[in-house]
Amino acid sequence: MLKRLYRWLDLRIGVGEIVEKELTGYLLPRNINEWYSLGSVLLVIFALQVITGMLLMIYYVPDADKAFKSVTFIMNEVPYGWLIRLCHAVGSNMMVAVLILHMLSTLLMGSYKAPRELNWVTGFTLLALVQGISLTGYLAPWSQLSFWATTVATNSASAVPVVGPYLVEFLRGGKLVGPPTLGRFFALHAAVLPVVIAAVIGAHLFLLKRTGISAPPFGREGTANPFEAQQYHYQGHPGGIPFFPNYVLQDLTSISIYFAVFLAVVFFWPGMPFTPDAFVPADPFKTPAHIKPEWYFLANYQTLKIFPSELLGLSVQAAAMTFLALLPFIDRSPERHPLKRPVFLTLVIAGILLWIALSVWGHLS
Amino acid sequence: MENEGRRKFLGVCVAGATAAAAVAAGYPVFRYLAPKSGQGGAAKLVIPVGELKEGDAKFFEFAGSSAVLIKTKSGELVALSAVCTHLGCIVQWVKEKQQFLCPCHGGQFSTDGTVLGGPPPRPLAKIPLTVTEGNITIG
Repeated sequence: MLKRLYRWLDLRIGVGEIVEKELTGYLLPRNINEWYSLGSVLLVIFALQVITGMLLMIYYVPDADKAFKSVTFIMNEVPYGWLIRLCHAVGSNMMVAVLILHMLSTLLMGSYKAPRELNWVTGFTLLALVQGISLTGYLAPWSQLSFWATTVATNSASAVPVVGPYLVEFLRGGKLVGPPTLGRFFALHAAVLPVVIAAVIGAHLFLLKRTGISAPPFGREGTANPFEAQQYHYQGHPGGIPFFPNYVLQDLTSISIYFAVFLAVVFFWPGMPFTPDAFVPADPFKTPAHIKPEWYFLANYQTLKIFPSELLGLSVQAAAMTFLALLPFIDRSPERHPLKRPVFLTLVIAGILLWIALSVWGHLS
Repeated sequence: MENEGRRKFLGVCVAGATAAAAVAAGYPVFRYLAPKSGQGGAAKLVIPVGELKEGDAKFFEFAGSSAVLIKTKSGELVALSAVCTHLGCIVQWVKEKQQFLCPCHGGQFSTDGTVLGGPPPRPLAKIPLTVTEGNITIG
């Protein structure tokens, strides 16, 4: 039956040619490793976030008077509402975590180097957009946690010289976080950012297909033609392994491992995305003690606290982010093996340790 | 040959596991989307007799749908479903003619729900009511 359907389609639109070009004939480096499958895992996570988000919109009411009640209704009354919401909340945390892992593997394997500078820049843009979509979604339940975390996050924009206070007011739609903030954050979260993220993912994949996949700098000998900046050429891997079925199996394995971890958190650690303040409706007159942002913003939060001036704290972060975003244009040596780049490796490890230390400090302070 | 058998077995296992996973994911989504049973509002309603004058009609929500209570000029009380049997629009009470008119396609019903004209295939459904101590209990 399936074979007949395949043949029917092939006769009409040449499916076989696409399969040959994009799947069975799409050859990957022979020494490709499992870290390369994190991109596919991220695609699955994004799809799941979109699906669960659409499902939540059926019952969620983006109105300051009704939002908290509607989320409580989803959690307690709607059949399996708790499951859909937990998948969405845990999924957003996992998306940031897997994205960081994906970028770390790219960093350590030197895959960001020429000719893949734009792949890195679009990937870095995706990290910023995912943080943005997480921040805007955080306000949606209109709990004390949502309200005050958003107050703290939007307030940091006030450190920008001259336009700072106006910027905060523009972000919030008023002097303080209130119903207008929920309206604009919801529009950003559910309509604007998903479309922008999908478009940047499209650009990221387009670039990947045009440059060809990078070969890992270690393991078995690579199959790629080395890049020479004279004229465009696709970096193919003659004699490499086919994407389908070989690497698809690796993708499926990684996706299964992801699901095992993800579902373990959903079922056995459902409190992970929430603090007790997440279960109290927002009260603009009562600031809870020790309000903290999400784990992936803790380092930024602590950096702001360390520096005597907020402007200095923001500038340091902006400089670090700009450095990371433009890394392929700064680090231009062709060497990609991490052990043959001791300075780079030391800096990466120091950077990771600093980020972890700041996050832990931010959590405990 | 042995490989062929193994492949087939593995294929069946993968297909089975995929089907099981699809059911495990699909069932919660289906339940999440399906309306809850018994979510239709009150199936019993009490209205004081004095609330309705002779020749008047009172529309209300009943068991998740729309219903109407009328007091005819002869003083008889009748409760009917207000959903037109043609395409499901809500009928309107025309006091002057003492009959119902469906504004969608012109269906007409008498005070006891009988079709007087237009496309409706069936009369309006009757809802039982009892009157005790000045209260009308519907349903």
